[in-house]
Amino acid sequence: MLKYVGKSEKRVDGIKKVTGYVRYTDDLKLSGMLYARIKKSPYPHAKILRIDTSKAEKLPGVKVVITGKVVPNRVGLYLEDKTFLAINKVRFIGEPVAAVAAESEEIAEEAVSLIEVDYEELPAIFSPLEGIKPDAPIIHEDLGSYKHASIILPQSGTNISNHYKIRKGDVEKGFKEADFVFENDFHVPHIQHSAIENHCAIAQVDPEGKITVWAGCQSPYAVRRTLAVAFDMPLNKIRVISPAIGGGFGAKAGTTLEGIVIPLAQQANYRPVKLSFSREDVFTNTFIRQGMYARIKTGITKDGKIIAEENTFYWDGGAYTEYGVNIARAGGYASTGPYDIPNVKADSICVYTNHPVGGPYRGFGMSEIHFAIEQNLDIVAHKIGMDPAEFRRKNALKDGSATVTGQVLENVGLMQCLDKVTEDIEWDKREKRVSKIKYRGKGIACMYKAPSMPNNVGSSAIVKINEDGTVNLLVTAMDLGQGSDTVLTQIAAEVLTVPISQISIMTGDTDCTPYEWQTVASRTTYCCGNSVKRAAEDAKNQMLRLASLKFGISEEGLELKDGQIISKIYPDKKVKIADLAMGLTMPDGSGIHGPIIGRGAFIPPDVKDTDKETGQGDKPVAFWTFGVQAAEVEVDIETGEVKVLKIAAAYDVGKAINPELICTQIEGGIVQGLGSALFEEMKIEKGKVLNPSFVDYKIPTAGDVPEMKISIIENPEPTGPWGARGIAEPCMVPTAPAIANAVFDAIGCRINSLPITAEKVLKAIKEKKR
Amino acid sequence: MKEFEYLKPDSIKETISILSQFGEKAQILNGGTDLIVDMRDKIIQPEYLVDIKAIPQLNRITYNKQDGLNIGATVTLNEISNSKVVQTNYPILVKACKTVGSYQVRNRATLVGNICNASPAADTAPPLLVLEAKVNIIGPTGEKIVPINQFFTGVKKNILKKGEIVTSITIPPIKDKWTGVYLKQGRKKEVDLATVGVAVVCIRDEVRIALGAVAPVPVRAFKTEELLKGKTIDESLLEKAGKSALTEISPISDVRSSQEYREEIIKVLVRRAILQAKGGHIL
Amino acid sequence: MKHKIRFTINGEVKEMEVQPNKTLLKMLREDLDLIGAKEGCGAGECGACTVLVDNEPVNSCLMLAVEADGKEILTIEGLSDDINLDSIQESFLKHNAIQCGYCTPGMVMSAKALLNRNPHPTEEDVKEALAGNLCRCTGYQRIINAVLDVAKKGGKK
Repeated sequence: MLKYVGKSEKRVDGIKKVTGYVRYTDDLKLSGMLYARIKKSPYPHAKILRIDTSKAEKLPGVKVVITGKVVPNRVGLYLEDKTFLAINKVRFIGEPVAAVAAESEEIAEEAVSLIEVDYEELPAIFSPLEGIKPDAPIIHEDLGSYKHASIILPQSGTNISNHYKIRKGDVEKGFKEADFVFENDFHVPHIQHSAIENHCAIAQVDPEGKITVWAGCQSPYAVRRTLAVAFDMPLNKIRVISPAIGGGFGAKAGTTLEGIVIPLAQQANYRPVKLSFSREDVFTNTFIRQGMYARIKTGITKDGKIIAEENTFYWDGGAYTEYGVNIARAGGYASTGPYDIPNVKADSICVYTNHPVGGPYRGFGMSEIHFAIEQNLDIVAHKIGMDPAEFRRKNALKDGSATVTGQVLENVGLMQCLDKVTEDIEWDKREKRVSKIKYRGKGIACMYKAPSMPNNVGSSAIVKINEDGTVNLLVTAMDLGQGSDTVLTQIAAEVLTVPISQISIMTGDTDCTPYEWQTVASRTTYCCGNSVKRAAEDAKNQMLRLASLKFGISEEGLELKDGQIISKIYPDKKVKIADLAMGLTMPDGSGIHGPIIGRGAFIPPDVKDTDKETGQGDKPVAFWTFGVQAAEVEVDIETGEVKVLKIAAAYDVGKAINPELICTQIEGGIVQGLGSALFEEMKIEKGKVLNPSFVDYKIPTAGDVPEMKISIIENPEPTGPWGARGIAEPCMVPTAPAIANAVFDAIGCRINSLPITAEKVLKAIKEKKR
Repeated sequence: MKEFEYLKPDSIKETISILSQFGEKAQILNGGTDLIVDMRDKIIQPEYLVDIKAIPQLNRITYNKQDGLNIGATVTLNEISNSKVVQTNYPILVKACKTVGSYQVRNRATLVGNICNASPAADTAPPLLVLEAKVNIIGPTGEKIVPINQFFTGVKKNILKKGEIVTSITIPPIKDKWTGVYLKQGRKKEVDLATVGVAVVCIRDEVRIALGAVAPVPVRAFKTEELLKGKTIDESLLEKAGKSALTEISPISDVRSSQEYREEIIKVLVRRAILQAKGGHIL
Repeated sequence: MKHKIRFTINGEVKEMEVQPNKTLLKMLREDLDLIGAKEGCGAGECGACTVLVDNEPVNSCLMLAVEADGKEILTIEGLSDDINLDSIQESFLKHNAIQCGYCTPGMVMSAKALLNRNPHPTEEDVKEALAGNLCRCTGYQRIINAVLDVAKKGGKK
């Protein structure tokens, strides 16, 4: 009988947050702090001919001025293609070419305006479709020499930084045998995370040369490693502290501005240097979600079985694709969506453009490809007169199905999710014409996602038992708001049989908290949760061993219950955790063992590479999460405005460690998905972001919230803690296509590109009339 | 923000003297919701900021049946929306005020500030146009009253000369039974700038129409009003009215909307606003 | 030239000298260590800087510090003391209306102002009052529920 796991425990960080007490990076004030500003490129693609910083250096109050010369090493998570300041050339409007640290923000700003830069403009690329042309100007001439992960396949001499292929079965044969073949195109623009906290980083160097960085980053260890590479420093000489994060969604994964403050700090006479991005800076100088063009060719039998599919995805990766290359890969190995298709050809191609930097965004490619996949399915279903939900049931992955990589699946909860959602949205009831101008419709979309991470990355946790039996839990999994602090504490509480209030979790300090690859990929409950479980079990086992020595009873005869080790047979033989925390004192007064420190580490088991040519592999990912959403919309056919009335969602989470927190995640994901469906688009013209503020980049507000009905399905993931699998990203993925399909149901018009603006809808309605 | 000198006069006389003295170098600080953003973005960099919120006469709303409604320069949009007198007598103005920004913005933003900012999309402009409001101005040469129709002179340009300030807006009484409607189209239903704004007032058979965000200045659609004069409002007339409205405006494509969409929406909103004002239902 | 101002902040009277080109938000954060109000956009669009001035919610990024003269200002730090939370804060916790916490101070202040002026708001009233507070994590529904719950209980815990 579980006591803490599976319960909707209250957030352990709630009171700190609701009182405004939590200090995010920009709230930190260090004595002697200097303020930094960056000099940005006005051109999307240009050679840097000359940078003159002399006037800036002379301005009173300016302490440090740097250019790319001080950061010569390229860095990157999956492909080392970027530098923190531009070197030799700039590749997007806004790219930092110099930086200043001064006594105040105003002085730093003025200093930046005094830096003179001469450029020679180069022809630029603003679309991946342009970037792949044989005569396209090359954005990264040295692509062939960039270090990269073995799973990434850059093409030297081109703008293609990764080309992931799936060749399963024989698509040509499949298309020949199909009764119908359809081809459809889709487009997803760049959008941005718009976490309410803007990026901020502080760096300070001490006289021994040790660097400390404070930044609200999702992945302190990834930041540490990247900085070590960038600055040729050993890892023990860099400390990364992530104080608190005001929203991540991938925006604060990897590195963004951390590398700019360090070379400033290294010349600041040990004074800390803070760089705070404005909202406009965030729009142009931090990750954006990659744009994507998709073409899907589908061959089906007349009774609705998909037997062949050819997917081509062109990703607009932006100026640097150190992260984006893996998004393209993820798009590739998930390319058909959660469906069982025997013959698949997929090409997922990451292309450089002179747009701001593409990077990880909640979903990691899944939202983008599912917008295409799920609308495509809908189109095909309608063309053969089949109900879209039925069509999905017919083709869905089930236990024993093989994915596009040939992985045979078990514990597939997709059908249960589909059944629950069609029930909750009342799929068979349609009230189409509410009035002369208001039409309603319902649409459905399925999804799946696996954590996209290298096969061999790990998590770890440390459990310290205090002298009074309370516990300190150390991890570097970051709570971005998703509630990991709470869930990980619940896991420790469950194993140690100690109330949650007696466990304090600490995260985000690479000097003290143990290694965590990154807080991304919906991997935290699964990976770090397993680590915490193991660490707690390690502590428990040490205490069992000591108790066994104490009582002379074998370990099998003892159990940990309600904070005590107690004999299963002799209930008077018991000892509190507190009395074993510092070791065991023997009858003769001597002590043994010492303080109890539990260690746990975890790498997902047996995850292997796929074949470079065919993309085939029997376990390319740790687990798959399946989910379904359905939307009911109302369209004003005179203005084209779409209102989302209701969203029903069901996800197979394996085991809900904290059901309420899962629901809150899903609600947030739905509303974020709604934003991407209806409003959000970075309007970039010739490389310039035209809407770098909330005035013209609109995200959902309280009035946009639809009715939401959320269901949790639990088919345990065998390798997850109590069966848990990830949910953080899946909950945003199917919202946009569900809405698009609902719009089609309402008005009979397809909107093949996001966002589904009133303008597009009205245009489609008018064209249909003609 | 660049450094500046902050002045807080407590009389109109003093304000005019300061504005006359410093001319282009001075800016009035009223609600600040447009100005401070522009100063932060370095679009406007005044050397002198003249805070008029300490001037007592400017923060009043007064109303009587003979003279109509008078709203002082520093009266905020929320004060207008919450005023019983405005709710009862000019509900169209309440509606328009409530569509500007967020509740927080409306606690600082002012009606007079909204029109002085003179954005083509200003939400309070179309209703003021159909209400035939008058703008009360005081300057070095004395007082004058300008019909709202003449107040806007271009994109973000108004008729004020050096040294002049708007002290209040007067909305004349309407002697007959009347209804007013303001319809705003944005990308979102709330906290958005108008892509298109339409205000209609119907006084018995008279129909007044004003359009926002579709020309360099907010405009009265006089030709369309003429078209409707004395005729029974039916579907075909409403369609003609929508098409006629198009001939009186010059919408553009910008980051918010395309010209084509604005043209489509004008036709729809003009039709709906008239219908609603006449007591009909849009369905 | 600095200006002398005198105002009340979270119940305490304060006298300060401020530069005119400093916003109220920056003064709160830099000079008074009241970091609950945040700069999410600096342009009055996100509401993360919302504080109450004379009981009315305003974007403190759009107000100059000098304009605080003679005013009563309430920030999130003034809502609770060392022992008790405000009923709105309790409700936010109860309804799980907090995730990353960054929008929370602004949201709570907007909600506080709403319930001060309208103790019995409808769901539409709550949505209108919170329309100027952006949240990216929660999807808003729980925040709305938390505010309605306080209203239902008449402000009592």
